[in-house]
Amino acid sequence: MNSVLLINGLLGGIVFGAVYALIGASLNVLCGVLRIINFAHGEFIIAGGFFAYVMLTFLGFNPLYTLPIAAAAFFVAGYGLYYLLIPRLARSDEPETSSFLLMFGVSLMLVSSMIWIFEADVRPVNFSFDPINIVLFTVEDAYGPGRDGRVIVPTARLVALAINAAIIIAMTWFLYRTLPGKAMRAAIMNREAVQIVGIDIHRLSAWAFGLAAALAGVTGVVMTLVVPSIDPNGGADFTLIGFIVIVLGGLGHPVGALAAGVLFGLVEQMSNVLLPQAAAQMLGFMILVAVIFLKPAGLFGLERSR
Amino acid sequence: MTQQTTQEIARPRLGSADTVRRLIWYGLVGLILIWCAAVPPAGGNLSLYFSLMMWVTLATGLNFIAGFAGYMPFGYVAFYGIGTYTTGVAVKVLGLSVYAAVPIAGGVGVLLALLFAPTLRLSGIYFAIVSLSLAIICQRLVSLLPEEITGGSLGINLGVVTVREHGYYSMLLVLVLALLTASWLARSRLGKALKAIRDDPEAAEAMGVNVPRSRLFAWLLAAVFAALTGGVQAWFTGALDPQTAFDVLITAKTVIYAMAGGLGTVLGPLVGTVVLVWVDELIWRSFPVLNNFLLGLIIAALILFVPRGLVGSLMQRYPRVRRYIM
Repeated sequence: MNSVLLINGLLGGIVFGAVYALIGASLNVLCGVLRIINFAHGEFIIAGGFFAYVMLTFLGFNPLYTLPIAAAAFFVAGYGLYYLLIPRLARSDEPETSSFLLMFGVSLMLVSSMIWIFEADVRPVNFSFDPINIVLFTVEDAYGPGRDGRVIVPTARLVALAINAAIIIAMTWFLYRTLPGKAMRAAIMNREAVQIVGIDIHRLSAWAFGLAAALAGVTGVVMTLVVPSIDPNGGADFTLIGFIVIVLGGLGHPVGALAAGVLFGLVEQMSNVLLPQAAAQMLGFMILVAVIFLKPAGLFGLERSR
Repeated sequence: MTQQTTQEIARPRLGSADTVRRLIWYGLVGLILIWCAAVPPAGGNLSLYFSLMMWVTLATGLNFIAGFAGYMPFGYVAFYGIGTYTTGVAVKVLGLSVYAAVPIAGGVGVLLALLFAPTLRLSGIYFAIVSLSLAIICQRLVSLLPEEITGGSLGINLGVVTVREHGYYSMLLVLVLALLTASWLARSRLGKALKAIRDDPEAAEAMGVNVPRSRLFAWLLAAVFAALTGGVQAWFTGALDPQTAFDVLITAKTVIYAMAGGLGTVLGPLVGTVVLVWVDELIWRSFPVLNNFLLGLIIAALILFVPRGLVGSLMQRYPRVRRYIM
C-alpha cells in the first residue's frame, strides 16, 4: 500500500461523498416533509444524467449551463408528480409502506422508459475540461527511491465538488434562513402542528417534492462530471446509497444526511482501495444494519420514536 | 344469562358460516390440486403452471408475515435465494439426493429467519429497509464464497437432476401445504393474535398475547415456504446464480401479487397472483418492450385505487361475501 493510492482514495471519497450527501439531502426532504420513501429516487438521478446527455449531444450544451435548466425542468416535473400521486396515497391504511411500493412502480416505469428511449447500453457523456487533469501535488519516492508519485484529479471532478459544495451551502441557507425553508423544517418536526399554524401543507409538500426532484436532477447532471457515463439500470444503486445515507444521518434530518453522505463516500472509496469489490459493496449495507440496531435515530439524529 | 343466550343463538350461525367458508375453500384447494396435477399427463405448459404455482406459494408465504402480522419484508427474496443455493450446494457439492436437499433448504431457511429474527423489533419503514439490506448482503456473501462451493458469480449448473415432472409435483405439494397452512392460520388462535398485533401491538400485549413469539412464528412460516419454493425452483430449472436467485424483483412481484389480491385474506394472494400472472403473460405476448413499464403502472394503479386488493376491497364493499370466502 502506498500513500498515493490512499490519497487518491481519500480524494475520491470526498468527491463521491459530496454527491452522496446531495442524494441524501434530497431524499431526506421527501422523507421528512412528505413521509414518503422514494424508491424511484435513483431513477430521478439517472434521468438527470440523461437530461445532461441529451442537452450535450443534441444541443451542444455544456453540463454547467444545463444545471439551472435541469433544476427548473425537474422542479416542474416533481411538482406535477406530487399532485398526480401523493394526495391519493394519503388515503391508504399505511401511507409509508404504500409509498415504498408506489414509488417502486414509478421506478419500474422510469427504468423501462429510459431503456426504451436510450436502449440498455451505457451511454458515454463526451465532455471534458481543458486541462483534463490537474496534478495536485507530487509525493516524492512514492514507488521507491527516485520514483515520485503524482496525485492527479480530473478537472471535472473538482468542478463537480465545487458545484456540490455550492448547492449544499445554498440548501442549508434555504432551510435555516428563509421562511419556506423554515416551514419545511417545521413540517419535518411535526406535520400536524404546521397545519394548525396556518401553513397549506399540500402546497408546501408539492414544493418539497419539486425541490427534491430538482436536487435529484441536478445530482444527475453533476454525476456526469464525476463518472462520464450513464447506465439506465444504475438507478437502484443510487437509491440504496440514498437509503444508507439518510438512515446513517437520521431520517428527516437534512444536515445529518450531508455529514453521513461524506462519511459513506469515504468508507466506500477507501474500502474499494483496500478490500475486494463485493466486500466493499457489502460494507455499506452492514453499516446500515448496524446503525439501525445500535442508534435508530441515526448517527447525528435526535432521539425520535421509530 | 342474557349474554349466554345470545352466545347460544350466535354460535350455530357463526359456525355454519364458517363451515360454508371452509367447504368453499377446501373445494377450491382440491380443484387446484386436481387441475395442476392433470397438467403433465394432459401435455400442458409445464413451465407456465410451475411459475404460477411458485408465485402463489411465495405470495401466500409473504402474506403470513405481511398480511397477518403487518411486517413488509422487502428482502423476502433472501429466503428464496438461500433455498435455491442450499439445494444447489447439497446436490452438486455434497452429492445428496434432491429429495433430501429440498427439505434441508427449508430447514436452512428457518435458520436464516431465526438469525434475522431480531429485525422484528423494528417497525414500518425501518424494517423494510433493513430487510432489503440483509437480502443484498446475502447476495454479495454468496458471490464472495469460494467458487468450489457456490460457483461465484456464475452460479451452479445442476443440469437435469430427475424427471421434470418430479420437480413439478413437488412444487404442487409445497403449494397445497402453503394454502392449507394459510387457512389453518386464519382460523387459529395464533392468526387472531397476529391480526391483533398488526392492528395495535400494545393493546394485543395488554390482552395477554405473547407478541414476540407470535410474530416469530409467522416469520418462520413465511421463511420456510420461500426457502422450499427456492429449493424446488432450483430443482426444476437446474441452474442458479446470485443475480437471479436474490433478485429484488422477486420480492417486489411477490408483494405486488399478494397486495393485488388483498393482504390479510386467505384467498387474496391466490386470486391476485393468478390474475396478475395472467395479465403479465398477456403483456409479454403483446408488448414485450413495455413489459416492466406496464408492470410498474399496474403496481402504482393498484396502490392508488385498490389499496386493499381485489378480495380485500370486495370484502369491504360487500361484507356479505365474508360468509363465503376467507
